[in-house]
Amino acid sequence: MKFVECAPIGRRALSEFVYAGPVRKEPRNETVSDADLSEFLYYHWNQPAVQTELWQHRPTGIWFYFERDTATDRIERVYPATKGAAQ
Amino acid sequence: MNRRLPPQPHEWIDRTRPVSFTLEGQTFKGFDGDVISSALWANGQSVLGRSFKYHRPRGLLSMADHDINAMYDTPERPNVRGDVTPIEAGMSLAPVNTFGTLAKDKGAWLQTVSRFLPVGFYYQTFHKPKALFPFWEKIIRRMAGLGQVNTDWPAERSVKRYHHTDVAIIGAGVAGLSAAKEAMNAGLDVLLVDENPHIGGSLDTHYPFDEHADGLRESVQALEASPNLTVMTRSYAVGYYGDHWLGVKTPSGLVKVSAKSVVVATGVFEQPGVFRNNDLPGVMNASGAERLVARYGVAPCRVGVVLSANPEGVQAALNMIRAGVTVKALLHTGRLSADVRASLTEVGVHVYEGVESPEALGKQTLQGVQFEAGSQTHQLECDGLMMSFGWAPAGALLYQAGARFSYSESLAQLLPVTLPEGVFACGRINGVFDLQDKAQDGARAGRQAALFAKGQPLDPGIDEAGFRAKQAHSHPYPIWSHPKGKNFVDMDEDIQLKDLKAAIAQGFDNVELLKRYSTLGMGPSQGKHSNMNGIRILARLTQKTIVQAGSTTARPMFHPVPVADLAGQRFRPRRQTPMHDWHATHQAQWMETGPWYRPEYYATESDATASIDAEIDAVRRKVGLIDVSTLGKLTIFGPDAAEFMDRAYTMRMANMKVGTTRYGLMVDDSGVVIDDGVVVRFDEETFYVTTTSTGSDQAYQLLTRKVIEWGLDVIVLNRTGQLAAMNLAGPFSQALLQEVVTQPDFDLSLTGFPYLAARETEVCGCAVTLVRVGFVGELGYEIHCQQADALTIWQGLFAKGERYGLRPFGVEAQRQLRLEKGHIIVGQDTDGLTHPFEASLKWAVHFKKPYFIGRSALQRHKARTQRQLVGFELPLHQPLPEVSNLVIAGGQIRGRVTSVGRSRTLNKIVGLAMVDVDWLQNATLLPIRLSHGPSVEAKRVSLPFYDAQGERQNQPLSLDEPQEANQ
Amino acid sequence: MPLGLLKYAWKSPESMPRFFPDETPLKKHYDAVIIGGGGHGMACAYYLAKEHGLTNVAVLEKGYIGGGNTGRNTTIVRSNYLTSEGVAFYDESLKLFEDLSDEFDLNIFYSTRGHYTLAHSDSALHTMRWRAEVNKFHGIDSEVVDAAHVKKHVPYMDTNCGGHLPVMGALYHAPGSVARHDAVAWGYARGAQSYGVEIHQKTAVTDIRTVGDRVTGVQTDRGFIETPRVISMVAGSTPTVAAMVGLKTPIEIFPLQACVTEPVKPFMDTIVVSGSLHVYVSQSSRGELVMGASVDPAQLHSTRSTLDFVEGLTDQMVDLFPFTSRLKIMRQWAGMSDLTPDFAPIMGKTPIKGFYLDGGWGTWGFKATPVSGKTMAHTVATDETHHLIQPFSLDRFERFNLVGEKGAASVGH
Repeated sequence: MKFVECAPIGRRALSEFVYAGPVRKEPRNETVSDADLSEFLYYHWNQPAVQTELWQHRPTGIWFYFERDTATDRIERVYPATKGAAQ
Repeated sequence: MNRRLPPQPHEWIDRTRPVSFTLEGQTFKGFDGDVISSALWANGQSVLGRSFKYHRPRGLLSMADHDINAMYDTPERPNVRGDVTPIEAGMSLAPVNTFGTLAKDKGAWLQTVSRFLPVGFYYQTFHKPKALFPFWEKIIRRMAGLGQVNTDWPAERSVKRYHHTDVAIIGAGVAGLSAAKEAMNAGLDVLLVDENPHIGGSLDTHYPFDEHADGLRESVQALEASPNLTVMTRSYAVGYYGDHWLGVKTPSGLVKVSAKSVVVATGVFEQPGVFRNNDLPGVMNASGAERLVARYGVAPCRVGVVLSANPEGVQAALNMIRAGVTVKALLHTGRLSADVRASLTEVGVHVYEGVESPEALGKQTLQGVQFEAGSQTHQLECDGLMMSFGWAPAGALLYQAGARFSYSESLAQLLPVTLPEGVFACGRINGVFDLQDKAQDGARAGRQAALFAKGQPLDPGIDEAGFRAKQAHSHPYPIWSHPKGKNFVDMDEDIQLKDLKAAIAQGFDNVELLKRYSTLGMGPSQGKHSNMNGIRILARLTQKTIVQAGSTTARPMFHPVPVADLAGQRFRPRRQTPMHDWHATHQAQWMETGPWYRPEYYATESDATASIDAEIDAVRRKVGLIDVSTLGKLTIFGPDAAEFMDRAYTMRMANMKVGTTRYGLMVDDSGVVIDDGVVVRFDEETFYVTTTSTGSDQAYQLLTRKVIEWGLDVIVLNRTGQLAAMNLAGPFSQALLQEVVTQPDFDLSLTGFPYLAARETEVCGCAVTLVRVGFVGELGYEIHCQQADALTIWQGLFAKGERYGLRPFGVEAQRQLRLEKGHIIVGQDTDGLTHPFEASLKWAVHFKKPYFIGRSALQRHKARTQRQLVGFELPLHQPLPEVSNLVIAGGQIRGRVTSVGRSRTLNKIVGLAMVDVDWLQNATLLPIRLSHGPSVEAKRVSLPFYDAQGERQNQPLSLDEPQEANQ
Repeated sequence: MPLGLLKYAWKSPESMPRFFPDETPLKKHYDAVIIGGGGHGMACAYYLAKEHGLTNVAVLEKGYIGGGNTGRNTTIVRSNYLTSEGVAFYDESLKLFEDLSDEFDLNIFYSTRGHYTLAHSDSALHTMRWRAEVNKFHGIDSEVVDAAHVKKHVPYMDTNCGGHLPVMGALYHAPGSVARHDAVAWGYARGAQSYGVEIHQKTAVTDIRTVGDRVTGVQTDRGFIETPRVISMVAGSTPTVAAMVGLKTPIEIFPLQACVTEPVKPFMDTIVVSGSLHVYVSQSSRGELVMGASVDPAQLHSTRSTLDFVEGLTDQMVDLFPFTSRLKIMRQWAGMSDLTPDFAPIMGKTPIKGFYLDGGWGTWGFKATPVSGKTMAHTVATDETHHLIQPFSLDRFERFNLVGEKGAASVGH
């Protein structure tokens, strides 16, 4: 198990967090093409890479961005998810 | 034959405290501090176990937790290891995997046909004819496995702990201790872990009479007294799990260790030689013999011979003599210096040099050794043959940490070449053998580990290889073939040299394939004494270097770990509503819903059905009360709350009037129904929503996530645990509620508080939110209140409710009631792919909004809805279909039942089915296949089954007008 | 003693026929290149050669034969799926499995044990019945049994589960089996080679060359190969290989972990799975309990082991089988699962001509080994998608026409 340094709440066990997947840009226009929608929902590169993910700290409900390397599981950077910052 | 020696200087046994135990019913005596193998050996027992495949007699090998052939069952547990398990008074042992007794194992005939059981033989046979394989398989399964399980054993669970430290040091030999000392001098907290009951490693076994060692021994004692050192003995690191995170198995359970840096000083495993009959009881590793002597004061033999390729073999011979063991000869594979030779002959040890082709002699136990030296064949009588051929790193932790090893031709040993950040290696695992060098190498690693732990740069001037041995301490190929075989590479699995040759010849010529085909290293010792020789053989036969031949990955566990320790204490938090005890005293029959316990029904009548029917009847004709505190409950407030709600739910929410409620349906990005509940608008900027009981965490997570993604000025507050809720439903609900509303002038009339209204008021003196909802199809009120007030209100309702016929009702009655009303349950009437158009919830999707979660996906689903939820009914006397029975028509599956029940209210069976749209168009009958085969033809009917016009919402009863509810 | 054994035993090691030939140089051109030397790749090569006469085929494996998920799974074979398309596909696989030992003349230890999927809640029981009904419709031996039945046939199970989430019933699938996973890959490999297929271990594909929308060759760390057909059968590496031809996929990689106990005398003859408790267990013919759980919580392209996994798994094991607390966990490992959004695989043709995909196996890949080999071989050789895999095309997500396997939200193995 990992411990994660999260600025406002200190050093926390990773098991206290819930993984909510990588941040993805959602097409939010009133009409969205099939291609754009299926890209958003399904088709991704998904290769090993450092990706920005949302994780929620369950006990406090605070959301964080983790920049995590999906090849090594190394968490490169952690910072609180502030409103609107995802997109 | 008694093999107990006179007291040894550092022995672990307490000779004043005898302990007796039994093996195969025979009593043995040992001392406190003895392990099973040492006590048995002391008593002259040489056959400690039988081998896995051929049931050959086996003795001891390492005395270091990988003597798999000396394993026992006790009445309490299987596979107890003789070489490390302390004896206890009254212990009763039976050898594992023995057909008969140790002395006479009926399985031993197998070795006479070993020719017919070559490597992988089971792949080559038993499959023809196919019909016979189950027969052979039974026999194979009888032969398989080691210890015997008693399935009646009760559960054991030990306690787990966390331990945080600056520097964790695994292995408390000379190197590890020196590292600890250095890190402590740097002012850091140090954890020292060692699998032995006493720290010191080989100090007491290999250097018992060495005066340099005495100084180190004293410093060990000084160390132990230090406050910033934690020592865990009889403990081992089970695995390295990344980020300086280790599991440590201690006698009292698993400790999960988080360190800032880690020093691996786990040392090396001594590797046996591979030669004919190298498995005979009496043949053992020299380090095993040293452990036996130094720790337990037991002689490995009466007359011994040391077979050696390194300085440790010479030292072992001298140690034996000092301890009082006769060593008649030292057979050395190389040449010795004159000094060394003299030191041996001086104490009566005859020296043979250039020794080749050793072969152990004897049948049941060792009786002699034959070998070639100086182009002559020699034979010596002996009952002990101590092998000192070399070492393999105990490198599992380093491999798991991501270290890379490389083979040093000059040391004939694998050495770590790159180590991950904050992980350090020292001592023999690092190729350092001399006592003083080990101390210095340990200090080096300790110093670097301390710097790393402090976040300081490492000292670049320190050479990790600086203290390494200059000459090999391992034989590069201690393997001798023999025409008659029986030269074992892997004692766990009875794998002989010829087996590996055959496997390699068949193309299993890389180390992983070799391992998988031959099962080399797959046994309980996990290759500790066999992998290195296996790789040497592979390299030799394929004409590759050791590095090219490759090494297998070393996965956790380092030693096997009891399930009881890994499982730990059982932790299953249960959530109870404030009415839990009330339910319990009213015969609630519980069901589990996630962490919650909810009354399924109250066992008030003769059986479950009668009880549930009575509850339904009360709601339909009088009034019922159900505890719905398990619902998820969220408050959503802020300037952007209305916008947020519009985006989060499929229905329009921004246009809700204050003081009203609306059905709230949530779908995911792909349009799949994930949750539903009630939405209340308290004011322009405040909404209150409920979610399903099991979906509350997920809904809260989704909504809070969306707050961030959308950047809206809104707060989502989870109030599930803070608030309780109950639903009062039935024609008398209004009348009863009127009696307990304590806010003066609160208008509870049908017009003053209409269907789908919501108000904050006071009930039984407690602040509540009242919501007029109709999930069960009757006039009804959800009452939401503080947890602390819930029981007061609940009991207040019952205090006034008797004359109205108030009954509590449970989840089962609620399911039936809502089914009659045609309301879906998310997760029952929907599955992991159901969208609202399939679930007949078209009315709940408002595309006029420019955006909401799942909108784009739903636009597509709307155009191509393939399934639809429909109602069906059957006469009451027909057999009751079960949920998930299929609708089958024209030889095709056309749908399935998602909900069904016998409705006493309607006097028929009613149900919901998810059915293919294209088939449905012309269908008026749904042929449902029952679980046991026959079909029933159900009539398709429109929904809801009950009160299609919704009149019940406006048909309150009062006691002043004594009439029964309409049916 | 069977005759085959005698014949085998009298051979000297050196004269034993090789399963796999020595390393040979790569040719410049192959009619088809299969990436991935696991069970699927070997099976595809075998059927390409045997049934379609396509023998100028190379299988490229970056590690060793069967070293990926083939050698890391818990070897369960079953066909009690939820959807008609799933049932038809896996039933064909199971039938092929039954005859593999004979076909290979190699005992793959295909052992029919019976497979219980436990239900600990009403809703799980509903899902079990759904599966059972679909299965029965298709003639698959599958039925819902009650807790008493489970207790009778697996008497050592604590069906009360230590007082939490008791067993309410189970889906019983009599044909549920286990097999020796490595041997399946070896058998197919040996068979394929007997027809002339080349297998190149330690050969990594670094790029796939395309001209227009057509595959023309494969770049490896041992040189370039010309080929008009490339079949990706790489499970956990699918996103990486697909990216070489510019394809995004709905496949996400999550580690799937497993572990074994020290061997004990066989006592467990059935396979037991509990989705709610995240446990599946069977006892191997070596006497080890082979156990697994659900996939790890976050995407990761790694086969590292975690302590959390064994802690969680053993905790649940003790609830279900209290006596196993006295056993010891000997070894743990992990594979990389390639999960799709609808829990069904992605198979067949792709927008890139000559590039065929076989992936998205999630936790079900092993049991599909024979049928995926066979159907992919058919698809590649004829350029007509085999009817059994038509529902599994990559473009179904573009059409928002997912396979219904996700309807049963509880994951089975």
